[in-house]
Amino acid sequence: MKIDLKSPVSTAVAIGVGIIVLAGYFIPSFTNIRFILLRTGLVLSAVALLVGIINLITVHIKKLGADSENSGYSLILVIALLATLVIGIIDMVQTYLVGKPNFQMTSWIFKNIQLPIESSLLAVTAVSLTYAAASILRKRMDLFSIIFFFVVLLVLLGSFSIPPTTIPFLRVFREWILRVPALGGARGLLLGIALGTITTGIRILMGTDRPYGE
Amino acid sequence: MSATGFTGIVVIVLFVGLMVFFSFIDKDRKTYNIRPIPAYEKIIQEINVAVEDGTQLHISLGRGGITGPESAAALAGLGILKQVIEKSSVCDHPPVASTGNPVISILAQDTIKGSSKAISISDNIKNPSGELIGVTPFSYAAGTLSTIRNDNVSANIHTGWFGNEITWITTAGERQSSPTIAGTAQLPAQAVIYASASDPLIGEELYAGGAYLGAGKMHQASISAQDVIRWIIIFIILASVLLNILGIDVFIENILAGTM
Repeated sequence: MKIDLKSPVSTAVAIGVGIIVLAGYFIPSFTNIRFILLRTGLVLSAVALLVGIINLITVHIKKLGADSENSGYSLILVIALLATLVIGIIDMVQTYLVGKPNFQMTSWIFKNIQLPIESSLLAVTAVSLTYAAASILRKRMDLFSIIFFFVVLLVLLGSFSIPPTTIPFLRVFREWILRVPALGGARGLLLGIALGTITTGIRILMGTDRPYGE
Repeated sequence: MSATGFTGIVVIVLFVGLMVFFSFIDKDRKTYNIRPIPAYEKIIQEINVAVEDGTQLHISLGRGGITGPESAAALAGLGILKQVIEKSSVCDHPPVASTGNPVISILAQDTIKGSSKAISISDNIKNPSGELIGVTPFSYAAGTLSTIRNDNVSANIHTGWFGNEITWITTAGERQSSPTIAGTAQLPAQAVIYASASDPLIGEELYAGGAYLGAGKMHQASISAQDVIRWIIIFIILASVLLNILGIDVFIENILAGTM
């Protein structure tokens, strides 16, 4: 007879650790053990990052062999990942063994490749958001979408600060929108999210939701 | 113990009590009268379409981990992933999952493995993935685009922790003319989702997936418990407003502070 102990053990660990961490928020004597468990969790998250990267590289190496139109992107990803890894190791050796300034080459990669790419993507996001707001009425022509569209329009018009384009009435309207309905709506949504978060957490503590295998 | 700590314990105990109570009194009930959420109806509809057309669903779980405030959204996403896998067990191509967080990636793979074992999907090729796409917001969004553009993907479900970068993902789905169901716990991203997704999940709707996709009694009980707490909150807000209008709130505050 094969007895699978994985499931009850993982469930017991998840529930036990969850209850101690939760208790640490309310009962001062549990605070220290809560911090120890959270720090352990953070270290395990870092290990999970390594596992995730191994998974990422394995998936993309498999895609290289496949007859896929995206295999070129996979090749770029594998080359970039390996190059960054090698440069990181060289930097580490130079910093800790040779005594050169801290991680010069890695910093160069982040400043001159990662940062510009992420910044340009952020700029494109602004365009994408504008497109999404403009196309909402094409997607869903209902009362709430119409209200959403016109409120966005009026708040934008009320945001102008250069004198010829400022409209005093719209500025007052914008401030009222931001202070009253937007703030009230945001608080309502946050209350709903908080209630949902609590029930999700309780279901995991009770063991009825087990997102860690069966 | 501080007053905040005591209040926290009272809230948790109240929630647990209500959830156990509702799951107990509703244990023989076959149907539940919960308000329809179009996004979940769409998920069920799209699972049926995927079964009939031989296509597959794409589920992205966002960038949330398990040690921060974003964890509940990520775990809710994992719950929806589990239900979708179980419901699409007869699909030719099971769902494909993607994440932007290594811990959630491992949990997604574990969920997929567990659910696949439960529904007897033993073929490794058929098993859906749970791959880590990218660890920064934009690398994750850019990496997810290739999965969305896959012609075999008939619908995209984005449930988890996303920022404004979700506009890339939802807009790409709309361009492919594939239905996009999306929900997140981040407020600015919710506005983006409302504008760009065909079926948005607003506020707490993200956490109600289990109740709508048939995950069990406790999920339905948690919806009822939330409703009771919501009524209590509404009562407290209205009572506070009334006390404020009557000027009694200062009197009560003074009593509590012991300055009377």
